[in-house]
Amino acid sequence: MAGQASGRIDDTMLVREAQHGNRAAFEELVRSYDQAVLRLALHLTGSEHEAQDVYQEAFLKAYKSIGNFRFECSFYTWIYRIVTNLCLDHLRKRQVRKEDAPVATDAAGEQYDVLDQVPDGRSGANPERDLMRRELGKRISHALEKLTPRERMVFELKHYHGLKLRTVGEVLHTTEETAKNTLFRATQKLRGALADMR
Amino acid sequence: MKCEWVKENVLLYVYNELPDDARYELEQHLARCADCTAELKTTRKFHTMLSELPVEEPSPNLVAASRMRLQEGLETAEQGRFWHRLIFDPAAWLRQVRFAPALAAAIFIVGFAGGIATTYKVVSDRGASIASVPVSTPAESSITGIQSISQDPGSNHISIKYNTVSTQEAQGSLNDQRIQQLLLFAARNNYNSGVRMDSVDLLTQEPNNTHVREALMYALRYDSNPGVRLKALDSLGPFVKSDPRVRDVVLEALIQDSNPGVRTDALRLLDPVRADSSVRTVLQELARSDQNQYIRSQARIMLSQLPEFD
Repeated sequence: MAGQASGRIDDTMLVREAQHGNRAAFEELVRSYDQAVLRLALHLTGSEHEAQDVYQEAFLKAYKSIGNFRFECSFYTWIYRIVTNLCLDHLRKRQVRKEDAPVATDAAGEQYDVLDQVPDGRSGANPERDLMRRELGKRISHALEKLTPRERMVFELKHYHGLKLRTVGEVLHTTEETAKNTLFRATQKLRGALADMR
Repeated sequence: MKCEWVKENVLLYVYNELPDDARYELEQHLARCADCTAELKTTRKFHTMLSELPVEEPSPNLVAASRMRLQEGLETAEQGRFWHRLIFDPAAWLRQVRFAPALAAAIFIVGFAGGIATTYKVVSDRGASIASVPVSTPAESSITGIQSISQDPGSNHISIKYNTVSTQEAQGSLNDQRIQQLLLFAARNNYNSGVRMDSVDLLTQEPNNTHVREALMYALRYDSNPGVRLKALDSLGPFVKSDPRVRDVVLEALIQDSNPGVRTDALRLLDPVRADSSVRTVLQELARSDQNQYIRSQARIMLSQLPEFD
């Protein structure tokens, strides 16, 4: 057989194999994409547990419907579409939950959301700076929650995961132009919400 | 005026989303405009500040745990798929489902199909002979899929829901839309390669129709029978030049079809487009390292006929 000319051809072969029921091929495909998927889910949900749920659902869905994949887009786009849709569902559910979210008061008398979870892998030698950083992170998290699910998704994909706006459009089944406008709106809202941050 | 445009586009600039000419213009303007430069600075600062919610790399533990959980999930999913493949033949279905002798007492099978309720009851007593109560004749109805299988906990009672459909016949000419639809369906979905062959054969008479062409491309890509693939390939051949999708599918077949006959045919059919860059790249690769000697030499010949490019 001819040697593989590019990663794209590798994917194609693996996809074809997976479509014929080759589970090992599917698992190989998973390994190429799963860290990116996990990264996205983790940052978006803020929880390892929920990220894992999204991961599981996404790849099971992919496995069950890979027979319908017709190569009309790249496998990369297809996978991102599945994950993004699951993330959108998650965000919508969260919005509904927020209305009766349990709220508690901390030592300073400030109200905070018990459901708030911000991943914080960095513990440095400077606890004060860490605290400040965590505070900032929390505020950003709060501000992000003010966006609509779609705005949040576009912003997340563009800003935090570096996808090109064109890809973001493809993933969300819309145009690059719409993705662009959504990004503008999201940025404006965020700037408003975080205006008092130096 | 220009400042307005710049301020609208500075965000895209920061995200590196501006096309080259717009980016150049913007940078030129910034060199002369303090106002806009300040705007850029603010935007950049905001952009950086958002990274205070950093994107964490998933820990190796999390990745490993997720993968393991997925594997379990895939195994379960696979078992579900098995049932879906059992179509059309009730006898074959019964043969494939192995009944352990211990799994004896009673099996109730209840079927639903738009008004046709079929009940097939198999009763067995501790491994004694199975007495069957036949219902509607298999000739008139065929099982299209198993909907669900459940076992009452703590007992040997199993209930299986399956769907049936009755066989019908359609007649008409190749121009009939109904006939075309059925042919397209048959080309993709029939488990019998003879039927697929027949349908692809008829479809090759109409390759100008978009749906037909798609069905032929599908057959070339996915059909398990090389004869069917060859037939589809030959029919698509004349369109490699006019339709880039066809060219790509044929190229794919050349690269990875398991059947050398299909590959050789694909190579021959790509001759009119051998100057295309993607085709040329593949030809170069084949000429260098393909296992098949004929394909290697043919690829070399085709390349030698190309004018020299830099």
